[in-house]
Amino acid sequence: MKSRKPSSVAARIAQYAVLCLGAIFTLLPFLWMISSSLKTPAEIVKIPPVMVPAVAQWSNYATAWAAAPFGRYLINTVIVTILTTVGVLITSVLSAFAFSRLKFPGKDLVFSLFMATLMIPGEMLIITNFMTITKLKWIDTYQAMVVPWISNVFYIYLLTQFFLQVPDALYLAAKVDKCSDLKFMVRIMVPMNKSAITTIAILNIIGSWNSFLWPLLVTNSQEMRVLSTGLIRFQTEAGTSYELVMAASCILVMPIVLIFLFLRKYVLEGVAFNGVKG
Amino acid sequence: MKRKSIPCLLLAAAVTVGTLTGCSANADSASTGASSTGASSAASSAATSDSAIQPCEVTFWHAMTGQQETTLTELTDQFNSENEYGITVTLVNQGSYDDLSTKLTANAAADTLPDLSQAYNSWLIPYLDKVVHLDDFVANDYDNYEDIMESYREETSQFGFINAMPFNKSTYVYFYNKTMFDELGLEAPQTWDDLLTIGKTFLEKKNMVSLGFDDMAGMLEATLRQNGCDYVSEEGALFDTDAGQQAIDFIMEMYNNGYARLVGEDGYFSGPFSNQLIPAYIGSSTGVSYITHDGWELGVAPLPGNTEKAANTAGTNIVMFSKDANQQKAAWEYLKFLTSTDATVKWAMDTGYLPVRTSAYESETYQNFMQSDATATASYAQADAFFSSPAFDGSYDIQNAVNSKLEELILNKADGATAMKELVDAVNGAL
Repeated sequence: MKSRKPSSVAARIAQYAVLCLGAIFTLLPFLWMISSSLKTPAEIVKIPPVMVPAVAQWSNYATAWAAAPFGRYLINTVIVTILTTVGVLITSVLSAFAFSRLKFPGKDLVFSLFMATLMIPGEMLIITNFMTITKLKWIDTYQAMVVPWISNVFYIYLLTQFFLQVPDALYLAAKVDKCSDLKFMVRIMVPMNKSAITTIAILNIIGSWNSFLWPLLVTNSQEMRVLSTGLIRFQTEAGTSYELVMAASCILVMPIVLIFLFLRKYVLEGVAFNGVKG
Repeated sequence: MKRKSIPCLLLAAAVTVGTLTGCSANADSASTGASSTGASSAASSAATSDSAIQPCEVTFWHAMTGQQETTLTELTDQFNSENEYGITVTLVNQGSYDDLSTKLTANAAADTLPDLSQAYNSWLIPYLDKVVHLDDFVANDYDNYEDIMESYREETSQFGFINAMPFNKSTYVYFYNKTMFDELGLEAPQTWDDLLTIGKTFLEKKNMVSLGFDDMAGMLEATLRQNGCDYVSEEGALFDTDAGQQAIDFIMEMYNNGYARLVGEDGYFSGPFSNQLIPAYIGSSTGVSYITHDGWELGVAPLPGNTEKAANTAGTNIVMFSKDANQQKAAWEYLKFLTSTDATVKWAMDTGYLPVRTSAYESETYQNFMQSDATATASYAQADAFFSSPAFDGSYDIQNAVNSKLEELILNKADGATAMKELVDAVNGAL
């Protein structure tokens, strides 16, 4: 025992050193954002770069916050993100279940058609989608920002593959017990693929939170704009006020950090579940 | 195998159908476009009819932020409260210039353009038929159009009709570190030779690169024009001449000798210039707000020339898209207000943009302002040399091609003859 201790201490030290190094690399951009948000315009462009500003410019936060109605933007972003994520989960789970379990004529054909849409670049669809939204008179509404994004073929494909891995025996056994398809899906399929569904939800939340061009295209009033459109307020044709962009970014990141702190247990559980199952 | 090929075929069919739907959508917008040509001819009747303007709301899309947006809002509030017709102008910020341009393109396709918008001429080409012709408004209801700076009038009538009113205009100027220049006994350059002398002095005495350009394609065009040479047209490159060769030789000499360098990742020289890492650069006059000069004196000078003087102008104009005659007249009232001497003076003094009228430059208020503002003084000093880049189908592609080609040539330290050949090929290849 005694002779093994020093080596295990050394192993521990090595372990922590690697972890610390990883943590530093991961945190550096975050710390840099916070430090930049407190700099003066001169310090921002200073070469060699200044790590810690001489005097913290807290006023940057006030200036950034006052540049746009960020409170309103935040509410809109949350609404749009929640609605699209719920929508995406419902459509993805339902269609993945249909493609993986149900038997209906033309199943392969429909699936191929779905896949075909993956080959059309999103940029090509912007104008067509925009014209549809205009004809529906949805400009400047939540549905314009939500409805085009409540189905995602890539997520459907992903989830179908996960659902296909669930053994047929389970389905057939459930059938013997007179379990309906819907009940089987909700009671067995969804819980068994919790990690895949969590992954899709997280991907979609990130995508929706960061989306910029489409929300800008379909909204005109300040009341309907989202957070990402607020960040471009600090750019002009002659340059960008990076200290204000960084201050605004810090404000925007705050809710996500808070959510993570509160839900840390669940997020980690999802990841752990994935690991055990893998 | 056979079973698999059927979905593949259908897949191809689906893509084709998708493409066709896209096509028919385009055809749709083309036909509405045709009907809006009728609307632009209605502009003439709207301009000449005497019926009073009915109260209405006019929407104005812009890309102004910060101080620019504050001033624009103040001016608009003033117009809204003072105009006698009950016109309310609503300002809508649409992000950056790129975002605004994308948004205009999408709305042109859906036929839902706003009454007014900031725009560069080059954006308008795909939907030029939706732009209201302002000629009759100018002829019948405008106070002294000749007072608008000549280069702006030329720019806004390059399509054969008056397509816009000038608004947020700027020009390229020569920013320099006066403290460093004084130390070396140098003055602001007047000619290309001066630039070479400054370059040599800085390299020998301080081992510094002395000049940078924020906009490479703009630099090429200005340099050509400073030597009396044309740049490009719809037919392609126009600079394959002796004068053009001289200009390109000069550019390559500046870079190959280490007198000038390319911009870094940040895209603007205001950063390195503020840090005294480069003693001078050429960029937009509005860039002055990004220059911090702690402990050294900032100098601003007009662009140097060679056989001629030539200075790029930048910044957008305001374009009208309204279809309704009453909307058009209301929008025109606002344009008259924004381009009036008082409004353009206030706009210029608050934002660092330039006034659009000669009378504004000559006004006492602006003359006083210029005494304390080196950028405004330098800009005005070269007002006779202003030019704007021509906009045509493909002009944007040329700009991109020239930017990357120039960068490549400079990194390869190409000689003048190679540079000429490759630049001509790049321009003609982009068309």
